[in-house]
Amino acid sequence: MTLTRLEKTPGLGRLYAKAVTSARGRHGDRLPDITLELPEATIDRDQLASYADVCGFRKSDILPATYPHVLAFPLAVSIMVDPSFPFALPGLVHVANRITQKRALRADERLTLRVSASDLRDHPRGRQFDMLTEATIEGDPVWTESSTYLRRDPHPALPRERGRVNQHEFGRENAHSSPSAIWRVPRNVGRRYAAVSGDVNPIHLNPLAARLFGFRRAIAHGMWLKARCLAALEGRLLDALTAEVEFKSPLLLPSTVGFASHPQDGDWTFAVAEARSGRPHLNGSIQV
Amino acid sequence: MTDLRPAAILGGNRIPFARANGPYARASNQDMLTAALDGLVARFGLQGARLGEVAAGAVLKHSRDFNLTREVVLGSRLLPSTPAYDVQQACGTGLETTIHVANKIALGQIENGIAGGVDTASDAPIAVNEDLRRVLLQVNRARSVPQRLALLRKLRPTQIIPETPRNAEPRTGMSMGEHAAITASQWEISREEQDQFAVSSHTNLAAAWSRGFFDDLATPYLGLQKDQNMRPDASMESLARLKPVFGKDGAATMTAGNSTPLSDGAATVLLSTDAWASEHRLPVLAHFIDAETAAVDYVHGGEGLLMAPAYAVPRLLERNRLSLQDFDFYEIHEAFASTVLATLKAWEDPAFSRDRLGLSKPLGPIDRSRLNVTGSSLAAGHPFAATGGRIVATLAKLLAEKGSGRGLISICAAGGQGVVAILEAA
Amino acid sequence: MKVRVPGLPAATPLRRYSPDQPLVDRPVLTGSAPGARIDLRWIPLAVTSHSPLAGEGPGEGSGPWSAIIFDATGITDVAGLSELHAFIAPAFRNLRPCGRLIVLGTPPEDCTDPAAAAAQRALDGFIRSAGKEARSGSTANLIYVAAGAESGLESTLRFFLSGRSAYVCGQVVRVRPAKTPPTADWTRPLKDRVAVVTGAARGIGAAIAQTLARDGAQVVCVDVPAAGSALAEVANTIGGTAFQVDITAADAPDRLASYLEQRHGGADVFVHNAGITRDRSLVNLTAENWSSVLAVNLDAQLRINETLLARNVLHPNARVICISSTSGIAGNRGQTNYAASKAGIIGMVQAMGPAMARKDMTINAVAPGFIETAMTRAMPFATREIGRRINSLNQGGLPVDVAETVAWLGQLGTAGVNGQVIRVCGQSILGA
Repeated sequence: MTLTRLEKTPGLGRLYAKAVTSARGRHGDRLPDITLELPEATIDRDQLASYADVCGFRKSDILPATYPHVLAFPLAVSIMVDPSFPFALPGLVHVANRITQKRALRADERLTLRVSASDLRDHPRGRQFDMLTEATIEGDPVWTESSTYLRRDPHPALPRERGRVNQHEFGRENAHSSPSAIWRVPRNVGRRYAAVSGDVNPIHLNPLAARLFGFRRAIAHGMWLKARCLAALEGRLLDALTAEVEFKSPLLLPSTVGFASHPQDGDWTFAVAEARSGRPHLNGSIQV
Repeated sequence: MTDLRPAAILGGNRIPFARANGPYARASNQDMLTAALDGLVARFGLQGARLGEVAAGAVLKHSRDFNLTREVVLGSRLLPSTPAYDVQQACGTGLETTIHVANKIALGQIENGIAGGVDTASDAPIAVNEDLRRVLLQVNRARSVPQRLALLRKLRPTQIIPETPRNAEPRTGMSMGEHAAITASQWEISREEQDQFAVSSHTNLAAAWSRGFFDDLATPYLGLQKDQNMRPDASMESLARLKPVFGKDGAATMTAGNSTPLSDGAATVLLSTDAWASEHRLPVLAHFIDAETAAVDYVHGGEGLLMAPAYAVPRLLERNRLSLQDFDFYEIHEAFASTVLATLKAWEDPAFSRDRLGLSKPLGPIDRSRLNVTGSSLAAGHPFAATGGRIVATLAKLLAEKGSGRGLISICAAGGQGVVAILEAA
Repeated sequence: MKVRVPGLPAATPLRRYSPDQPLVDRPVLTGSAPGARIDLRWIPLAVTSHSPLAGEGPGEGSGPWSAIIFDATGITDVAGLSELHAFIAPAFRNLRPCGRLIVLGTPPEDCTDPAAAAAQRALDGFIRSAGKEARSGSTANLIYVAAGAESGLESTLRFFLSGRSAYVCGQVVRVRPAKTPPTADWTRPLKDRVAVVTGAARGIGAAIAQTLARDGAQVVCVDVPAAGSALAEVANTIGGTAFQVDITAADAPDRLASYLEQRHGGADVFVHNAGITRDRSLVNLTAENWSSVLAVNLDAQLRINETLLARNVLHPNARVICISSTSGIAGNRGQTNYAASKAGIIGMVQAMGPAMARKDMTINAVAPGFIETAMTRAMPFATREIGRRINSLNQGGLPVDVAETVAWLGQLGTAGVNGQVIRVCGQSILGA
């Protein structure tokens, strides 16, 4: 393993430019054995407040469980644009995200973030891998994240599953037919989240750019949608939790979506679906 | 109906008050009130409890916050099945909510409840220009696209300029400070008196913080640990250097130093029946005895905007067969130093007492050493609706420390209103 | 600029406790020398071997063992010690990762016969060396069980068998006869107990508060008002209460006592955890740096203990646990003030032990070694890395390791452990 310690957060704008210019010619069947570390990252209260505004969290001295993702994301992108990375960043699809925290993280704590890529494997529609992030405070790994990305392949190794039963019947049933909340997701949410997260991937910013990548309109960041869901449950969750989501389909901007949630013994199931058609956007769960 | 039993005050929690555009600049009313409420929950171990009700409010409120307090409860550590509602009586809000909760407890309708208030001058709502608002509403009502386009063509660039929120009375167009300046000059309150009063507010507040008085009344928020406006080293010399901001020429005595600053903050108070308190082993600090609200015609009636407490207190005293001297502590909200001084002067003034209050003799002077002994709004700051909760919890603790006695609360409010109340040691 | 650092060898991740774990998940090898006094039959998955012979030892070919427990209480001479060797030596290599070697002895100071005292004291050197040889996160500890204390041993054995003692190695604990109330539920041994933790807003204190709450205690979280926001969060998370006070204030002991009387009718467990550092070399140490550290770390504890006892705030069977430090045992450059305060705590605990025992109470000190905290974070990289590595477990401990030790000492069942200092240091070579 090569551990590279960074002195400051890499700029995402430059990384995305590099992603585009270095997109061609990537190949291979191995993930690079790189671990990037950003030691002792401090929390910028102003950026945290902006993040809370966009996602619907309240301003407090406690970090939203999704917030360290924003801090670590530039490291993940750095790995994904490394020359040794087998896939081009444009075209990668964020399909799942799991975050586990042992306790609430405070805004006055310093997080040491480590990011690596792991577990390249088949997916019914191509190849998938995980970007793993670990945040430690004072040596204690208090927060971990696994983000799964899909590289579509027209000829996947795994057989395409036909008539597969949706594992998350809950989402299809409830977020559409009996949502606990209806959210009107405004057109500018992609730009606003990009501004606070630094994730300036053009598919989130503007419809024309999105079209270049095959989307009808700009799409919301998956991690914004996950954060929005956790914000909807704020005050109800314990500090130690695992929040897991699957991204089912892109959320085109603007949209009106249904959100459904169901508590059970401290755990939660939740889902987001397009309000009119019932097309699922996200299925998730929280375990304590 | 059951016998009336005065509600018990068990304690309070507030976040330190910040100056506008300070550390809480980006916090909303909901954020701050939730922080104060969750701090109260932590202090009293109320996690997951269903309380009788939570009553709170804010003076400067966004339209989206129409159900502010209920939204706060839903995001707090209390059980979501705790009912809540908003009250707005300008600067009297925090005391008025306490009256509501205390009355329901006294009537036996609820066993316990939380009262409070919050305000932000930093995250204040900005209204769209009135012309623009009318056009937009018409566009909304229009049935066809051509109608809408025709309406939108009526828009002018100047209409984009928003209505800035003003701390002004709608019927007089004068700011609260301008109103207070008129009263100050009518009652001939000198600059020196006002500055001296402001100095003691800062000195008293600083002494209370340093002796740990607020250890169980406040919880830090967003890195702020004490009231930001507090100047422990405030002196007559430092205040004398400030230029008057309200009042005319020779009568201009009111400065930023002897007026309250625009502030952000939130405060909460926990009340219950004596039985609930003892069942949960929570010591009772004081009882909420009685309250009175008065209003004056400051528009046409020739009375000062902030003079209503001068009317409310005699009525409250009479009903409780008490004299103004029967109190161990006086908590008179310091909207402006001159407001407190004018009120005290009015109570000593035979003509005012006879002509305005209809009393045969004045209420008389109070022992100034019992007034605002741990400081008040001049030093702490004054997030409008949060002030009542701050004062109720402070006075209850003062009475508990003393172990006996009685305290008077007096709060003036915009709109020519005044809310006053009596607490007694448990 | 990028700094490349070589990947450091990974230390074995330690097995840590959670209430839903079984006490042991693999067989436990138990054995004894003649004259043994301890009943070990209650231990789950115990495999007993009575007569270890030279050559084919009982442990060989079996295992891997969750733990090896050897009752050496009956050994009275040097010859008897060969049983210890014969039993443990062949089985030791079959200890699973994060396994446990536990030896039970008789306190040497209780032995009148010099040979017996020598043999029992020999166990001390044996276990400390075995701790250093133990691999892959395994630990070795010695429990001296005084005559009459045999029935008061269960909480201590459970502690050393379980993941609670993950970072406790090479330690010698004495269990003496004491009135030991029964424990109804070993997954919630602190049920209905009122516990107070000072310095609870963050770090080790927050971990202690959380651990005591997990074990069933109603926790009062105490910290300075400036840390109130974090303190409220800790209290709300564990369903406890927050009490803000500067423990060095003149009236703080009385305020604490009144609060505990009024709100809880007293306290069952009191954890003195609040502490500060003001590190300076002795020549540069100001009087302020000296006195502030002594005031918070030592004087406040003394004054609070005095008030709690004088006002009868502590309930019968109360447990007082004071956080010391290996710095207070071994000393540390730049920490004359801190080490003095932490050594002072040990003096206080040892002096108060007998009086506490007469009230059916205990007082003990827990001395953390290198625990990953804000304090260690401030160290230069090399110093920090050395601190982490110079112990038998080849890693730093976590706040929860200190917390688990505190929780064990807080149990009703730990009545026989009193006036002692337990190091949570992974058997650091410092202060051994």
